[in-house]
Amino acid sequence: MNPTLRNTWTVTLHELTDSIRSRRAIVLLILYALNAVVATLIFVKVLHEMENQFEKAVGVAQAEKAGGTTTAMWKNRNFRELISHLVGNKETAEKLLETPPLALFFGWLSFFYTPLLVMLMSASRISEEVWSGSVRFMMFRTSRLSWCVGKYAGQALQLLVALLLSGLAAWITGWCRMAFFDPGANAAAIAVFSLKAWIYGIAFLGLAMGVSQTIASPNVATAVGFVVMILFSVVSMLAEWVSRQPWQEILNALDLLVPGGHKMDLWLPDAMHAGVATVFLLALGAAYMLAGYVRFSRRNL
Amino acid sequence: MSAALELKGVVKTYGSRRALDGLDLAVPRGTIFGLVGSNGAGKTTALAVTVGLLRRDAGSVSLFGEGPFDPLRHAGRVTLLPQDSRLPLHARAEDLLWFYGRLQGLGEGALRESIDEVLEWVHLNDRRRSPVRTLSHGMMRRLTIAQAFLGRPELVLLDEPMSGLDPREAARIRAILKRRHDAQTVVISSHNLHELETLCDGAAFIEAGRLVRQDSMDTLTRRSRRVTFFLEPAGQPLPMEELTKALPDATWEQALDGAELTVKFFDETARAAEVNARVLEVLLRHGIGVLEIRRGSALESEYFSATDSHASSVTPLPPAGSATP
Repeated sequence: MNPTLRNTWTVTLHELTDSIRSRRAIVLLILYALNAVVATLIFVKVLHEMENQFEKAVGVAQAEKAGGTTTAMWKNRNFRELISHLVGNKETAEKLLETPPLALFFGWLSFFYTPLLVMLMSASRISEEVWSGSVRFMMFRTSRLSWCVGKYAGQALQLLVALLLSGLAAWITGWCRMAFFDPGANAAAIAVFSLKAWIYGIAFLGLAMGVSQTIASPNVATAVGFVVMILFSVVSMLAEWVSRQPWQEILNALDLLVPGGHKMDLWLPDAMHAGVATVFLLALGAAYMLAGYVRFSRRNL
Repeated sequence: MSAALELKGVVKTYGSRRALDGLDLAVPRGTIFGLVGSNGAGKTTALAVTVGLLRRDAGSVSLFGEGPFDPLRHAGRVTLLPQDSRLPLHARAEDLLWFYGRLQGLGEGALRESIDEVLEWVHLNDRRRSPVRTLSHGMMRRLTIAQAFLGRPELVLLDEPMSGLDPREAARIRAILKRRHDAQTVVISSHNLHELETLCDGAAFIEAGRLVRQDSMDTLTRRSRRVTFFLEPAGQPLPMEELTKALPDATWEQALDGAELTVKFFDETARAAEVNARVLEVLLRHGIGVLEIRRGSALESEYFSATDSHASSVTPLPPAGSATP
C-alpha cells in the first residue's frame, strides 16, 4: 500500500481506538443517544397531548398511546392534499408523507444537534495534541497531511456510529411509547436521516478540524469553531430573508459556501437534490479542512 | 563518507529573536555526538528544525546527504526525543509504540520484536500494558527514550534524554547508548557535560544560535595530548630530569600548589597509556603518591574557555543584600 494511504489509515484506526480508550467516544455516544431519547420522549408526549386535545374536540375516545390519530390523519386524503398544497409539489409532499412522523422529527432533531456536538467534540482534536506536544512524536514518522486526513476520517467514522446509535435510541423509544408504530418503515427512514445528518455533519467536521489546525489552544479552538458556525448560520438566515438586490444575490452566492445553504436539498427525498447537496457538503467539509491544513502545513509544532 | 546530519547557515527566528543565527553543524555517521550550550543557545531549535517540526527561515539541512527531512524518505530512519512533550496520557505504553512503529512502516513481526527490545532496554516490560498516566515521571521519560529507538533508526536525536531519570536508570541508558548499533548515529543535547564527555565521540559548542566550536571528543578534551597526575603529598620536589628523560618531546606543567602534574605530548611522542606507564614508573620509584590520573582536560573547562566571550555578556548577579539600583 502507498505509505501516505497506509499512514492515513493507521491514524484513522488510532483515532478510533484512542477515542474509546480516552472515554471520549463513550461521552460522545452517550450525548447522542441521550439526546435522541430525551427529545423523542418529549416529542411523543407533545404529540400525545395534541392528539388528546384533537380527540376531545371531535368527541372521540382518547387514546392511551401517542401516534394513532396522527397515523390516521397521515393517511387521510384531504390532509395529504393540504400538505401537497403547502409544500407546493405534490410528488415531494407524497414522499414526505410516506415518512413516519417520528422519523421526520428525528431528521429535524439530528440536523439541529449534529453541528453543535461536532463542534463541541472535534474542534479541539488537533489543537490539544499541538498544545500537549504529543504531535511531536508523530510528525517525524508521517506527513502532516496524512496525519490530519487520518484524524478527520477517524472523527467522521465516530460521528457515523454516534448518529446511527442515536437513531437506534429514537427508534426504541418510539417503539416503546407509540401506538401504530411501523418498525420497518421507521427503521428505514431513521437510517436514511442518520446518513443525511452524517453528510451534513461532515461539512461541520471539516470546519471543526480546519479551525483546530490553525489554533494551538483547545479551548480557544472550540470557541472559535462555535463563532464561525454561528456566522455561517447568520449567512443562511440572511440569504433566506433579504430580498433587496444586489444583496440577495451576494448572500445566495455566499450561502452556497456554507453547509446551511444545502440543508434543504439534503432534506428533500428526491435523489437529484440530495445527491447534489451531498457532493456540495462533502466538498465543503474537505475545503474547510484543507484551508486549515494550509496553515498547519507551515506552522511550527 | 557523507555526514548523517549537516546544517549550513541555518537561521530560525521567533519574532525579533534569532534562535539560530547561521548555525553550521556536521555530524559524522555512526557517532554519538553531543550538543553543548547554555539555555536558549539553540540546541532544541536545531533538533526541531532537523526533523521539520520547525520551519527554518534560511540555510540548508541535509540528512544522509539526501536533502532536508522528508517524511516519505526519512520516516523511520530519523527519530527524535523532544524535550518538553507529553505522551498521550490515556494510551497504553505498548499500544503507543505499536502506533508509532506502524507509522514508521514497520511490519508486524519486526515491530513486535522492536517493541520487546526497546521496552527491555528501558526496564518497562512489566508496565507495557499500563496507561501512560499511571507511569511515574521517570518511567514516562524512559518510554519517550524507547520510542526514539523503535525500529533501529539510522539517526536518533535526543533532547535532554537523562533529565528526570534516577542515577541507576541514567547509567543504564548510558550503557545502552554506548552499546548502540554501529550504523546508528546519535545526537544528544545535554547540560550534563560529564555525561557527554564519557558518551560522545564528538561534540559541538553552540551559543546564541551559532557554532562556536566542533570537533572530536579527543581533540576537544585533548585526550590524546595531555595526562594530568594528582599527587600526594603535594608540593614535594619532582624528579623532572628523569621525567624529561623518560618523555623527551613532552612539555610539563606543575600546579602552583604542587598537587598536579600535567604532561602535554603529541600523538607522535607516545600514546596516553605509554605516557602513563613511563611517568608513573618514575613517580612511584621516588615515593610520590598518585591519587588520580586524568586523561585530557574536562569538557566543561574546554566549553567554558571556548565560550567565555558569550558568557561575559551575561550580567552577573549582584552580591546578596546589595541594594537594587
